[in-house]
Amino acid sequence: MPQAIPLPSDLSPATVANTASLLRIIALSLISGAAIASRLFAVINFESIIHEFDPWFNYRATRVLASKGFYEFWNWFDPTAWYPLGRVVGGTVYPGLMATSGVIYYGLRALNLPVDIRNICVLLAPGFSALTAWATYMFTKEMKDESAGLLAAAFIGIVPGYISRSVAGSYDNEAIAIFLLMFTFFCWIKALKLGSALFGTVAAVFYFYMVAAWGGYVFITNMIPLHALVLILMGRFTSRLYVAYSSWYVIGTLASMQVPFVGFQPVSTSEHMAALGVFGLLQIVAFTQLVRSHVSSKQFQDILFVALVSAGVLGVAAFVGLTYKGTIAPWTGRFYSLWDTGYAKKYIPIIASVSEHQPTAWPSFFMDLQFLIFLFPAGVIMCFHQLRDEHVFVIIYAVMASYFAGVMVRLMLTLTPVVCVAAAVAFSSLLDTYLDAHEPEPEASATDSAASVDTGKKPKKEKAATGSALADLVAAATPTKKGDAPKFKGVYGTDTRFMIVMNAIAMLSFFVFHCTWATANAYSSPSVVLASQNQDGSQHIIDDFREAYYWLRQNTPETAVVMSWWDYGYQIAGMADRPTLVDNNTWNNTHIATVGKAMSSSEEVAYPILRKHDVDYVLVIFGGLLGYSGDDINKFLWMVRIAQGVWPEEIQEPNYFTPQGEYRVDSMASNAMKNSLMYKMSYYRFSELFGGGQAVDRVRNQQLPKEGPTLDVLDEAYTTENWIVRIYQVRKEDLLGRDLKSANAFAKGKKRKRSKPASRRRALSAAAST
Amino acid sequence: MLHAKSSLHSPLPAAATIKLDTASFELLTSPTRDWSASIQLTALDPRRRCNPCKEFSPSWNAVAKAWSKTSKQHRDTHFFATLDFDDGQAVFQQLGLASAPVVYAYPAAEGSRSTGKTAPSTYDFSHGFEAGPLAQHLSRHTPIPIPYTAPFDWARWTTTAAGVLANRWTWAVVSILTSLVMTSGYMFTRIRNSPFMGGDGSWIAGGFQNQYGQEVQVISLVYGTLGFAFIMLTLVIPYQSSSQRQRFQVYLWTAVIAMVYSILVVLFKAKNRGYPFRLLL
Amino acid sequence: MLLPRRVPLLSFILLVVGANADSFENTAIVRTVDLGGSVVQVATTFAVKALEANARVYTIALGDAEMQKTSWLEARVKGQATPLAVTDHPGSTDNGVHLVDIILPKPLALNATLNIILDAIQTHATFPWPERASQQEPQSLKYGSDLFVLSPYKTLVQRTKIKSPTPNIHGFSTPEKMEDFTFEEPVTKSGATITYGPYNNIVPSANAAFVKKYQRPVQVHFEYDYPVGEVSKLLRTAEISHWGANLNIQDEIWLRNAGPELKGHFSRLEHQTQAFYNRAASHVIPGLTLHLPAGIRNTYYYDLVGNVSTSRLRTAPSVPKDSPNKQYSVLELKPRYPIMGGWNYSFTLGWDAPLADSASWDKSTGKYIVEIPVLTPFPATVVNDAELKIILPEGATDVDFATPFVAHSTSFSTHTTYLDTTGRPAITLRFTDLTEKHALPLYVSYKVPLSAHLKKPIAVAVAFFSVFVFGLAARRIDLRIHQK
Repeated sequence: MPQAIPLPSDLSPATVANTASLLRIIALSLISGAAIASRLFAVINFESIIHEFDPWFNYRATRVLASKGFYEFWNWFDPTAWYPLGRVVGGTVYPGLMATSGVIYYGLRALNLPVDIRNICVLLAPGFSALTAWATYMFTKEMKDESAGLLAAAFIGIVPGYISRSVAGSYDNEAIAIFLLMFTFFCWIKALKLGSALFGTVAAVFYFYMVAAWGGYVFITNMIPLHALVLILMGRFTSRLYVAYSSWYVIGTLASMQVPFVGFQPVSTSEHMAALGVFGLLQIVAFTQLVRSHVSSKQFQDILFVALVSAGVLGVAAFVGLTYKGTIAPWTGRFYSLWDTGYAKKYIPIIASVSEHQPTAWPSFFMDLQFLIFLFPAGVIMCFHQLRDEHVFVIIYAVMASYFAGVMVRLMLTLTPVVCVAAAVAFSSLLDTYLDAHEPEPEASATDSAASVDTGKKPKKEKAATGSALADLVAAATPTKKGDAPKFKGVYGTDTRFMIVMNAIAMLSFFVFHCTWATANAYSSPSVVLASQNQDGSQHIIDDFREAYYWLRQNTPETAVVMSWWDYGYQIAGMADRPTLVDNNTWNNTHIATVGKAMSSSEEVAYPILRKHDVDYVLVIFGGLLGYSGDDINKFLWMVRIAQGVWPEEIQEPNYFTPQGEYRVDSMASNAMKNSLMYKMSYYRFSELFGGGQAVDRVRNQQLPKEGPTLDVLDEAYTTENWIVRIYQVRKEDLLGRDLKSANAFAKGKKRKRSKPASRRRALSAAAST
Repeated sequence: MLHAKSSLHSPLPAAATIKLDTASFELLTSPTRDWSASIQLTALDPRRRCNPCKEFSPSWNAVAKAWSKTSKQHRDTHFFATLDFDDGQAVFQQLGLASAPVVYAYPAAEGSRSTGKTAPSTYDFSHGFEAGPLAQHLSRHTPIPIPYTAPFDWARWTTTAAGVLANRWTWAVVSILTSLVMTSGYMFTRIRNSPFMGGDGSWIAGGFQNQYGQEVQVISLVYGTLGFAFIMLTLVIPYQSSSQRQRFQVYLWTAVIAMVYSILVVLFKAKNRGYPFRLLL
Repeated sequence: MLLPRRVPLLSFILLVVGANADSFENTAIVRTVDLGGSVVQVATTFAVKALEANARVYTIALGDAEMQKTSWLEARVKGQATPLAVTDHPGSTDNGVHLVDIILPKPLALNATLNIILDAIQTHATFPWPERASQQEPQSLKYGSDLFVLSPYKTLVQRTKIKSPTPNIHGFSTPEKMEDFTFEEPVTKSGATITYGPYNNIVPSANAAFVKKYQRPVQVHFEYDYPVGEVSKLLRTAEISHWGANLNIQDEIWLRNAGPELKGHFSRLEHQTQAFYNRAASHVIPGLTLHLPAGIRNTYYYDLVGNVSTSRLRTAPSVPKDSPNKQYSVLELKPRYPIMGGWNYSFTLGWDAPLADSASWDKSTGKYIVEIPVLTPFPATVVNDAELKIILPEGATDVDFATPFVAHSTSFSTHTTYLDTTGRPAITLRFTDLTEKHALPLYVSYKVPLSAHLKKPIAVAVAFFSVFVFGLAARRIDLRIHQK
């Protein structure tokens, strides 16, 4: 066979195998290194700090775990959250993340490596991303081969779609969950391929870990049964499938029920019913197969078939009936809103208000996946081309995940692994084809010369080329199974190879540049700390959040209750260490609505609410001075909506708009808006900052009235350097029993009276001295 | 296939086709008839082993049935009849027929519809055994055209559908289209009720977190083209047996990738102004 | 414990010599008090005349309250720089009077005179008055002291000058019934200075009878334009690493504004307005400028929620030990928020310094001697409670240390950290009321045998080796149930 490129021929197979193995290990180590390093932008640009909102809770919980031990953590009742209700943290949390950090922390301490728990938390996500790369390698290896595996590992190592949720400091459940997801899938594929109960059990153990770590485990709970179901429908039921699925389901389900937060859900909620149903179906199918192999009578088989089908129908009916009766809980809101996309907005505004639950526009896909996004369909085609059992898995995964990622930005994360796998399969197939040094035998010279004759007529040739290409596509699409003379497949010449390889290298390099840029610019901001640029181009850090939280921590009594919108609950608990009314664990809608009501009502209405909840401080985020758009006035409508959901008579969203239907904060603002506590707290004394000039809100680009709002029931306690965080102290009831408004008016009047004579006296003395 | 069809169409109403014997044949074709008739001469008895007869009979019945649904005044001027070989061997001999089936159309010999011709015309089976051409042909002898419409062929459709469903490429197309559409932000436009185009006629929405309906089409087309180019390069071109053609295709598809990818980057730049990279464009 | 906290390093025990009232006579005592916030400097000049030959020990007396406030005491002969040895007077004290002996450089001849200057630092000698002040109001403090400088000897003339940093003195106490000592005004004010005295012919006053009869407190109420900082607690950890050639020092600092508490609330608007017109309120601590050693690296300053991003550091290059050229790295530490009266701010500050800059090896004894600063000087700020933990290298023996002043308590422990097997010896020392003057080095000496040096690499090597052995074994042991 001719070769386009000469290859050394004197290498023993053992040498080649050993070298390949060594190269793989080196490549994987380098990929791990790159995966970790590219997630450290946040640490280098800012510092080793916990990011965003939820991670602060995880960090706080981990600190409890590290300082008090696992038992205490398990029984932890946190009286400072959801004041005055408190929160049973041990039973309402996925403890996998904290347990992981705790185990690492204690393990290192046992080795006399006392690493700070914060650093463990910050670096957990990058560390696990290296493991994810490895798990993806293993998974893709099962799909194609090692080279595709290495490509997939490299892709997932640096792809922004995954980095976005696993940069250093992003200490969230997803940090470890993607590794667990991929490794569980790998074990499942392995179990399915080998019919191995061992791998089925390993899959179950990792499934348990996943259940303990992330609510997204439901994705696995439904993906594996769906795969099994499709295989059965395709007539690919085997004993391997039976062994793999049964061992996974039984052990995995029992194990998952040990997590207190999950409890009996695997047998009582709709999300888990598919797995149970497929488990039952598999038993039926297996039983049928067994009987069929032992009984020959056709009649009997027919009866059996009917019996089994009716059993299946009865099972479904029982499921429907139980759901109807309420024994099996219907789909929970968060999952239901994936299918009925309008549901959340209508019925659960809290879920709809979360930014990561918004739908995804196409630029996000390109931003997060870049060229993988269009290699992805090609990879899926490759899977269809071979269509082994494991390829079916990738196909189902691809379709499901692309739908979910379209519905919710957050679920881009589940799409990313399969995109990496599929793209790696496609890309490595391309490289395999064009890097293969073998050339096909040259054809009979007649056709060759015929082809060379009409080189002059380009259009015609192109037509012929595409025409024959289509024919070839059909030929390629239905290969192998037909026995007719297998066409040798290969590439002629070195220039074509060079062309393709150069193109591939260029695309990969572009991908690396893109990933680096996206990671550095879009995904590495801690959001607790904001960065801006000085005039000389150096970085200027805006640190108002920590300023305010630390002020609270150092200068207020430890029992002071802080009220804020729920976004900041975890941060206040984590950084200021003060009790909060509501936080990011949005389990109690009424409580959140109460806060929303207090924020959106007038002082008279809000004051009793504040006092009844023992609120000492109220914290608002105000971006008007700096132009920070994520502030509370911009979130205000959600507060109003959520409050309206509970008190529709008292709070009505349209009242907060101008009659023209505009959302304004200037002098045109509606009365409800102007009188609301949120408005007053945001703009209190803001216009005075501009001296005599016109006060401008830089977020909403509106000019504010000269006369700012007044506050009677609150005192301004602290405002940060850039006015982003403003803290107000709630006044106690007046000692003389007056309402605070008149007490305030009285105090002001007195002050005026006192100050006036003073100024006159000064004037007089000045006159006297001259 | 056949039995499925007949099971769907039997039993025929009595009036649809008249079962003849030698005597009634004579009666129906009497020279003083003021009616016309279409007569099928066939041999349906299994012993006769006339496969064409069996094949043709359903079509005949279908056409006859269609005629029986016309209004009475027309129905009574033209008759459909069947003469089986076992019922009227004499007629076969008399007509000198050695093969079946044969269809004769007897025009009316007297009355208003008489054209002067009395000899029957034979249906040319080169049109096929299907009911459609038969109805068309016989309509020339009926007072009004036979209102025959081909029945919905459930069996064939089921088989085809099963074949389509069982074909992996169907599923491949469905899966690919789904993922292309989903990754082009289709759900975004659905949930946010984005317009198909901007009010000012622009088709690309400004802003990173926003898009119009038309963008879904353009982007999925771009993704699709690029993916297809990769499929061509990987799965198809290596099978190309001519080295010149192969080379040309390699260059062609590489150029396609480079161009379309550049366009994609330009589109992305339009959405995300701060994007620092560009390709050819 | 009744000892002044400043006891010289080279103190030696004297034979017991009673404070003989006839040994000396004070021809004049002049005390000058420089008022400040948390730190007040007091300089007292004793013009001494020997009444007997060979008088070598001069005794001074401190009242109870004075004793309590004094955190630093240093005596020297006027015109000379070297401090004199100071030691606690043997025998106990007499009802509220504490005696301290100063050993003169050479015995005085009969009728010889000598001027002795006693420098003292008083901490917590002032308190804010009024106790609460709003953001715009000025800050005023009250300083309390005793009227007479006590002495076991007869004093011919004595006066006390109290100098305020601003001429704005709200008030001062006027002692009454001073006819025994003076016929003029017992106190005069001129500009920013209040003068008590001169008072003549004071009998030996270091006894309870005099104190009871004549001693009385005086107070000065003055305006003070600088913030009153106070470090309520300081934890310093110094870790010596020979492998890293590194001296790591980490301070955990609890800073507090001890000025008048903020009345009402903090208004950012007013703060910014004041800053804009450059009239920042005097009692706000906007930041600290700290002088850290030269040549430090990896400096970090963070608090419980992360880096104090508002701070800046200018490092100076490393200078060799004992170099006369004193350079500092300057850290401008700006807390997250301006520290108003009564507010707290805690943070951690740490750095690495080359060990060579502070360590030496004594060939004769085979010991390392490392010089460790007791604290970083906080300008005009008192450290109420300081704990210094010195962590020596693993396996250090024959540990010895010398403090520049007496520690409250000393304890030894074992500290286990990175890759240790047996842990490192650690010394913990506790001090109270430290000021800038106390920023002196402390010396630790110890031996490290070669085996201890090698402990770490051997431990790491063994650990890695055992991992490989385990891997080797794991690959070769077949645990399959069904043997192939």
